[in-house]
Amino acid sequence: MKKIWILACNTVKESFRKKTTYIIVLFALIMIASSEFFAFLSSTEQYKMITDTSFAVIEFFGFLLAMFGSISAVSSEIEKRTIYTLLTKPITRTNFVLGKYLGMFFILLINFSIMAVFFVGLLHFKKIPMDSGTFKALFLIFVEILVIASISLSLATFTSDAFNIIASSFIYIIGHLTGYGRQIIGMTKNIAVKGLADMMYTILPNYQNFTIRDKVVVGIPIPWQYVIIVTGYGIMYIVIALLIGIYFFRTREI
Amino acid sequence: MAIIETKDLTKIYTIGRKRTVVGLDHLTLEIEEGELFGILGPNGSGKTTCLKLLLGTLFPTSGEAYIMGKTPYDVSMKKEVGFLPENPYYYEYLTGRELLIFYGKLFDMDKDALNEKIEELLNLVGLHNTQKLSLRHYSKGMLERIGLAASLINDPKILILDEPTTGLDPIGCRDTRNLLIQLKEMGKTILLSSHFLSEVERVCSRIAILHRGLLLALGRLDELMSKYKSSNLEDLFVKTINEYDEKIKSQGVAQ
Ligand SMILES: Nc1ncnc2c1ncn2[C@@H]1O[C@H](COP(=O)(O)OP(=O)(O)OP(=O)(O)O)[C@@H](O)[C@H]1O
Ligand SMILES: [Mg+2]
Repeated sequence: MKKIWILACNTVKESFRKKTTYIIVLFALIMIASSEFFAFLSSTEQYKMITDTSFAVIEFFGFLLAMFGSISAVSSEIEKRTIYTLLTKPITRTNFVLGKYLGMFFILLINFSIMAVFFVGLLHFKKIPMDSGTFKALFLIFVEILVIASISLSLATFTSDAFNIIASSFIYIIGHLTGYGRQIIGMTKNIAVKGLADMMYTILPNYQNFTIRDKVVVGIPIPWQYVIIVTGYGIMYIVIALLIGIYFFRTREI
Repeated sequence: MAIIETKDLTKIYTIGRKRTVVGLDHLTLEIEEGELFGILGPNGSGKTTCLKLLLGTLFPTSGEAYIMGKTPYDVSMKKEVGFLPENPYYYEYLTGRELLIFYGKLFDMDKDALNEKIEELLNLVGLHNTQKLSLRHYSKGMLERIGLAASLINDPKILILDEPTTGLDPIGCRDTRNLLIQLKEMGKTILLSSHFLSEVERVCSRIAILHRGLLLALGRLDELMSKYKSSNLEDLFVKTINEYDEKIKSQGVAQ
């Protein structure tokens, strides 16, 4: 456990000293701030626009941070060949994967908090009413980001960066298009395509479950039970993804 | 019992779908405690492959490897081992000192013991003045030096060094050689791969010569020299390799 912690700290240190994350976060903040250009709309419309856009921005940039962060956390060790030395120290390969993920957890927590605080501050400043729904929506976005990170990290243990980016983005898009996706599946006649698509939807995470911003914006209450169940759903995916990552990393030659 | 042991250790790399390259071919080797053992061979002869198999970053195609009777994947074995990879690369965003702290922590060292050790090692490798510089700004030889310090952080019983003097200046080479002798006198077992034959000649008690993954010669330096009627290691090295190549060539012609 202590080894995992030491590896996590080093991952966080790397992320802060490399400064690429700052740029992504800064960009996100600019986008959130610029959502107030919708000022020409009536005030309730404007509220909705600002909150809705900001949620979307935080989620999308969270996705970018999670995907690129996890990929670089693993493959920078491999590309820079620091892994040769690291794996000859008394750590297991499982320690390595879990340490990297714990590090990503802290990196994402920090960056997500910056975006969330900025967003809440903006709402406060604009005197836009907030309720528990705002925070539930933010919390579930964070859970989604953690799921994305676990999947990208797991893929990074056995695939190339390019493939990883494609696969992670594909899962992200598919995971958000579940509604449309199922409609399209319903229309296809080809059984093979249908079977494959059905299977994909059963296996891959449904990121749409984490998206409650459309309801929150119009004031539909979200019960706590829903938040808890969906969090459990996310944790399940994280555990499975990490187990897969550990399995592949243990068989990987360095 | 030998402290480092390989039995028919074989590594065949698969490149793409069909092509294979022999990295190491049925290597059987025993290194006793307290030995300073040199592993020699031309480029691509399998030295690095052998060391990586011993430390479990590569998996053997067949055969076995043990350090202190433990498999290469045993964490308790790694506690007693120091390793310096060839052309070491380290976290360029860390400073020299931070690197040593990071590795030291992975060995569960407590803060005071670690700080004391770091002082000692920085002085030993002559990097005391640049300990606060990030590794991005280190020169090749400085990286080799910090790597050597890092491999000694846990005061290992066994040291495995892959070309520790490549990139070092003459003084660094001499210092490393003296350090190796000193470590041997302290009772440590050292497995060293090197291309600097004059150096190996001066420090190693036994050597192995690899070529195309095969073990061509193994034994005490003086014994091998008299066997091959060589006056120095370079001569011995060239003779062994040539003898093998000619044998292969004549077999090829005969077929
Ligand atoms: N990752 C790899 N994939 C495929 N083949 C490899 C790999 N690593 C090494 N080889 C092959 O295995 C053989 C032995 O390589 P190895 O690195 O062990 O040589 P070496 O003795 O350390 O050489 P050098 O003196 O140049 O460091 C070479 O023919 C090399 O091409
Ligand atoms: Mg080598």
